[in-house]
Amino acid sequence: MTRDTGDPERPGAATDRGAAAATPPVRPFLLTEGRVVAPGAELPMETQVVATTEGLHQLGALAFERRAIVEACGTPQSLAELAVRLGLHLNVVRVLAGDLRAGRFLTVHEPRAAISTDVDVLRRVINGLRAIPTTAGRA
Amino acid sequence: MDFEAGPRRLPEPASAPMPVKMVIAGGFGVGKTTAVAAVSDVPPLTTEAAITEVAAGVDDTSLTPHKTTTTVAMDFGSVMLDPTLKLYLFGTPGQDRFGFMWDDVTEGALGALVVVDSRRLEDCFPAVDYFERRTMPFAVAVNRFAGAVPHPLDAVREALDVEAAVPVIEFDARDAESVRDSLIIVLELALARAMAAA
Repeated sequence: MTRDTGDPERPGAATDRGAAAATPPVRPFLLTEGRVVAPGAELPMETQVVATTEGLHQLGALAFERRAIVEACGTPQSLAELAVRLGLHLNVVRVLAGDLRAGRFLTVHEPRAAISTDVDVLRRVINGLRAIPTTAGRA
Repeated sequence: MDFEAGPRRLPEPASAPMPVKMVIAGGFGVGKTTAVAAVSDVPPLTTEAAITEVAAGVDDTSLTPHKTTTTVAMDFGSVMLDPTLKLYLFGTPGQDRFGFMWDDVTEGALGALVVVDSRRLEDCFPAVDYFERRTMPFAVAVNRFAGAVPHPLDAVREALDVEAAVPVIEFDARDAESVRDSLIIVLELALARAMAAA
C-alpha cells in the first residue's frame, strides 16, 4: 500500500459537512499568513500547551484566535484539543502556538524524545490502565 | 512587552500532565471511534486537519492548478491515568487516501491497535502494512460485531500474514474493559521490546 500524496479527485462531502460548522469564515492559512510547519518538524498533536501568567494577564494585547488560544490554555491542553475547542485547523494552531510561545504568552511542553520506548513510562501507563474502574468493577 | 503591575498576585500556571498516545487504526466503520469512546474520560472530539490538495484542473480548460481543501477528521479521546499522566487515543482517518496523515497521528505513539471487522478483512491491510513498516508495536483486534467473531483468530492471522510476534486478539469495541485490556496487550508488547533493547 503506497502513501496517498493527494489525488486529483474532487473532495467528497467531508469538505462541507462538519467543516462549515467548525471552521471560521477566514481561510485557515490566512491566519498564519501562509506559514506552515515543515512536515516532520511539527509538534506532535498531543503536545501540551499552557498559558503563562503574563500571557493570561495580557490577553488585551492579542486579537481573535491568538487570544482565544491563550485564554483556552489557561487550562493545560493539547494542540489537538485546542484545535477542536476553538474550531481551528490543527496546523494553524501549531503555527500560532509557535508564535505565542515566542511571545511568551504560553509555554509548549515538547515531548521527550524516545518516550515511546521508555520502560518506566510504559509501566506507568499499563498500571494506570489497569487501575481504571470499569462498569463491571473488575480491575 | 510591558508588564502591568496588578494589585493581586497572579496564580501560577497549572502544570500540564505528561501526554502519551496510542493509535486506533483500521478501515472505515470497524469501530475505532466506538473503542475510543468506550475508554475515554470525555466524549471523543473530532479534530479537523485540512489538506490542501493541488491538482491540475481536470474539468476546466485552463492550466491553472486547482486547489481544493479537504477536511480530514480524526476522532480522539483521552484518559487521565493520574494527574501527571494523560493517555490520548487517536483514531486514524478511515479512508486509505489519507494514509499520508498517519505519520502525523502516529509520531511518538506508544503503539497501535488495528481494529478489524473479520467480514471485511482487507480493509485493514493498509493499516497492518503501515505499522509493520513503522516497526511500531501493534496488535490486531478483531471486533466482535453482532456478538460473535465469524472467523477463528488463527484464520485471521493467516489471512493477514502478520509475524508471529503480533498479537491477534478479539475484543468488543463497546466495552471499556475489553478495549482497556487490548491496549494493555499492545503496551506489554512495547514494554517487552523496550526492555530487550535496553
